Amino acid sequence: MTVPAIEADALGKRFGRRAAWALRDCSFRLPAGRVCAVVGPNGAGKSTLLALAAGLLAPTEGTVTVLGTDPATARPRVGFVDQGKPLYPQLGVAETLRMGADLNPGRWDADTADRVVAGGDLDPRARIRSLSGGQRTRVALALALGKRPELLLLDEPMADLDPLARHELMGVLMGQAAEHGTTIVMSSHVVAELEDSCDHLLLIGGGRVRLAGEIDDLLAAHTRVSAPAETDLAPHAVVEARTTGRRLSALLRPSGPLPGDWRTGTPSLEELVLSYLRNPGALAPAPAPDTTETAA
Amino acid sequence: MNTTLTTVPATTTPAGPAHAPRQLRWLLRLHRPALLAGAALVLLTGAGLLWLGGPLADASAAAWKRYNACAFDERCSYDQDAVIRYKDVYNYTTYAVLAVPFLIAAWAGGSLTGREMESGTARLAWTQGVSPARWLASRLAFPTLAALAATGLLTLLHRLAWTGSEDRIDTALVWDHYPTFYANGTVPVALALAGLAIGVLAGLVLRRAVAALAVATAALGALWAAVHTALPHLWPAVTRVTGLREGPRGEGIWAGQGVLTADGDRLDAPCLTSMLPGCETTLSDMGAVSFYRDIHPAAHYWPLQLVASGIILAVAALLVLAAFRLLRHRTP
Amino acid sequence: MIDYRIDRHTGVATYVQIVQQTKQALRLGLLKPGDKLPTAREVVEATAVNPNTVLKAYRELEREGLVEARRGLGTFVRRSLGAAPADSPLRAELEEWASQAREAGLEREDVAALFTAVLDTHYPAHTPDPAPAKTSEGDPS
Repeated sequence: MTVPAIEADALGKRFGRRAAWALRDCSFRLPAGRVCAVVGPNGAGKSTLLALAAGLLAPTEGTVTVLGTDPATARPRVGFVDQGKPLYPQLGVAETLRMGADLNPGRWDADTADRVVAGGDLDPRARIRSLSGGQRTRVALALALGKRPELLLLDEPMADLDPLARHELMGVLMGQAAEHGTTIVMSSHVVAELEDSCDHLLLIGGGRVRLAGEIDDLLAAHTRVSAPAETDLAPHAVVEARTTGRRLSALLRPSGPLPGDWRTGTPSLEELVLSYLRNPGALAPAPAPDTTETAA
Repeated sequence: MNTTLTTVPATTTPAGPAHAPRQLRWLLRLHRPALLAGAALVLLTGAGLLWLGGPLADASAAAWKRYNACAFDERCSYDQDAVIRYKDVYNYTTYAVLAVPFLIAAWAGGSLTGREMESGTARLAWTQGVSPARWLASRLAFPTLAALAATGLLTLLHRLAWTGSEDRIDTALVWDHYPTFYANGTVPVALALAGLAIGVLAGLVLRRAVAALAVATAALGALWAAVHTALPHLWPAVTRVTGLREGPRGEGIWAGQGVLTADGDRLDAPCLTSMLPGCETTLSDMGAVSFYRDIHPAAHYWPLQLVASGIILAVAALLVLAAFRLLRHRTP
Repeated sequence: MIDYRIDRHTGVATYVQIVQQTKQALRLGLLKPGDKLPTAREVVEATAVNPNTVLKAYRELEREGLVEARRGLGTFVRRSLGAAPADSPLRAELEEWASQAREAGLEREDVAALFTAVLDTHYPAHTPDPAPAKTSEGDPS
């Protein structure tokens, strides 16, 4: 793969000179063709990051490059679904899709858009204002997919959907990724709903990137261990450690082989994410192997 | 994973000049109810003005003719209803013409940008192949034309109706009656454009429909009030000098009055004729030799209208510039 | 055609589940040499898993020589697995035995325990597989 889908360098945004930073020191690189989960607690800066990448906000500092160019230039090749799923309430469902076709001439993929809407058993003449939250999500996704984006940015796309629709629409998204190599970035504060669909992770907490990389690599770099209490975990980097009774359980980034008498296991994505979120002091793995910092 | 790219050529330019009519179509669709209501209001007021200048003016003129002809005959009857109807319809239509810029300001602030910013549909448009600058331009271009057409037509019809009543109807309002003064000229047209600009900017700044509606309407009122206050000074006035017994005289729009001293100094008038008790002494103590009044005669009508309109348009242009700069600052 | 069912709660990696289910289908004769596997798109649309996961599973199957990818056409089965197709006489005998067991009043768990015990006797040196213990792998290679 050549050009990364998103490359952020010291990206920061605050709304107003005296306001707190919504996002700061954000540097990462998302290769094209990935399905990336942006996870973090509410208010972590996920929406701000997505809006910056979509070219809807100007950064306060730093830069973000999207599909090899600036976000404003990339805008026609980027699909975006806002958290609130804004749509024109006075239009009908079919009319909304016609608007998408009209405003994206030469790119519009009517089949995909129609298919997404048809899956929801929606009356094409129904007004947007009469739709439920889940139905609006469907129409908003149809609009974003219809423009056949190379990069699809989805802010909490699944929040309003019932489990069935969630599975179906996630399938549609994965189908887009499989068929067209679309890079998909979706935020959520529910890690479990992204675990099977995403292969890349961006963990954001307190306006900063806490963890970024391929999910397989991140999981492989961490080990869940259980050892007798008062075991010295050094020199391994400790993300989280807890003593219950006579056992010490911890999540480590091993810096070498672990003693044979420790019980070890691979963490799940959710365990990994939660451990980092519970321990704001734990530092992300540095590119260099000699990570010596510890935090508990 | 390798990108097996789409059959659609990825090089298609998404926003060419051919894009403008598409955007216009959807702008019209989104604001169809407001557009229909606006068109109905303009047609209704226009029809009222045509009725006013034609049948109503004729009936009122006929009634006045009959009234004047038999002024001292107690049994004389004239069509009083026609006189009153003319006056009522004149007032209604005049105020309707003057209200149009406020309706435009309210709509622009509330609906055109405020609601789109509040609900996030502006962002939807920006990610649907319409760049923020284009989005804003589309929200200014057609409404500007519509506002020009609506207010241009109404002020023209108002002027025609008013001209038709001159010298025929004794209670017809004079040119310098302020509502008449404004409704007959170009100021409502300029105010309509300023209202559009104020509304659009208020919507962008406040990002709340109701707040933008209220602020835009109030701000347009403030702009008009400021221009109205400055109006007498927007064009050099004509000074009429009158004797101390006569008092200041002169019809038209006043720019100021007072007394003149022998040295040519202008002083505030303590009283308005030397025939009033005590006034003569006061005036001679001040060294006053005559009264003066600065006025704008009817001949100043168009210079005043055009300078006022020019100022309002300049403000509107600055506001449009500010709106584009704000959007440019917020989005990359 | 094969329908993959991804169970998120087994703790078995998703790509391993796809590999196992494909092998199961090969073993039962539901997939035969020359059959086409569903495209990655078809699988991900039905299962909502990441496309790379499916490709990883298919690569694994290819590495084991069970399938081959033909450029632009899809992924095809090269050879079948085991000798227990769904309609073999062995299956019929097993069916008959199962209905006898049922008539004899054996519970499902009883049958499973019995079957596993016999299986362990006849296939003793089998390496543990990450698969759920539903069916033993018994790879004949």
